[in-house]
Amino acid sequence: MTDQIYQENFDEIETHLAGTLKPVTAPSGLFQRLYERIQLPTPSEITMRLSDWRKLIFVFGGVLSGMLLLITLARALYYLTGRKEIM
Amino acid sequence: MTELDYNEEEILARASKGDRDAFGILYGHYVERIFNYVYYRTGNPHDAEDLTARVFQRAMNHIKNYTDRGVPFSAWLYRIAHNLVANWHRDRSRKQEIPLDDLPVLPTKGDHPERNLVRSQEQDALLRMIRKLPPERQNLLILKFVENMSNAEIGKIMGRSEGAVKSLYHRTLLALRDQLEDQNLNLEGE
Repeated sequence: MTDQIYQENFDEIETHLAGTLKPVTAPSGLFQRLYERIQLPTPSEITMRLSDWRKLIFVFGGVLSGMLLLITLARALYYLTGRKEIM
Repeated sequence: MTELDYNEEEILARASKGDRDAFGILYGHYVERIFNYVYYRTGNPHDAEDLTARVFQRAMNHIKNYTDRGVPFSAWLYRIAHNLVANWHRDRSRKQEIPLDDLPVLPTKGDHPERNLVRSQEQDALLRMIRKLPPERQNLLILKFVENMSNAEIGKIMGRSEGAVKSLYHRTLLALRDQLEDQNLNLEGE
C-alpha cells in the first residue's frame, strides 16, 4: 500500500518533471553563428562541395569523350587522305 | 544527410584523421542536444551558446584521442559538456552575475508559442529546485527528461551501472518530493 502511494507520488512528480524539462527551441541563427565560430563547413556547404565533385567528374568525363572523338575523327581523316595520296 | 546515411563509426574515423567536413556532420548531429543540456544546466541561453561552441571546439581539438572503449561518442561529448559546465559554475560563484531567474526563457518544443512565453509558477519552482540539486542529479534528470535517454545510456555518460542510475533516480525523486512537501508546493493545479 505504502509502495503504491509512493509510486503515485512519483508519477505525479515525473509528470511535472516531464512538463518542465522539455527540449528547448534554440535561438534563431544559433547554429549558423556556432558553425562560423568553430569554423566548420555547414551541411549545405558540404552538400555543395559533394555536388561540385559530381560536376567535376561530369566535366572530366565530357572532356575525355570529346578528346576521344577528336582523335577518332583525326585518325579517320588521316586514313582517308593517306589512302588518296597512295592512289 | 539523412539518418540512414549517418554511419557514425565511419564519420568518426574520418573526423579523427582531421577531416573537418566529417566533424561538421557530427556537429550537425549533436549540437542541438548539447545546447539543450548546457541550457538546462546553466539556465542561461547566452552562456549556453558560448559553452556549446567550446564543447565542440574542445571535441575537435581532441577527437584524435577519442577511442571507442565502450563509451559512445555522445557520452564523450556530454562529459566534455559536463566538465565545462562545472568550470562555468565555479567561475560564476567567484563573481557577481545576473540571477538566473532574470534571464530570458527559451520556448520549449511542441507547445503552443503563447503558452511557452509564460512558464507557470510551479514549473519555475520546480526548475529552481532542480538547479539546487547536486550536479550529478541534475545531469540525470536532464538526460532522462530532456534527452529522453534510458538508464543504460545515462549510465554510459555518467560512468555508472544501470542499477546505480536507477537507484540515484529514485533518491532524486524522493529528495524532490520532500522539498516540494517542505515548501508546501502544490503541483496539481496547472
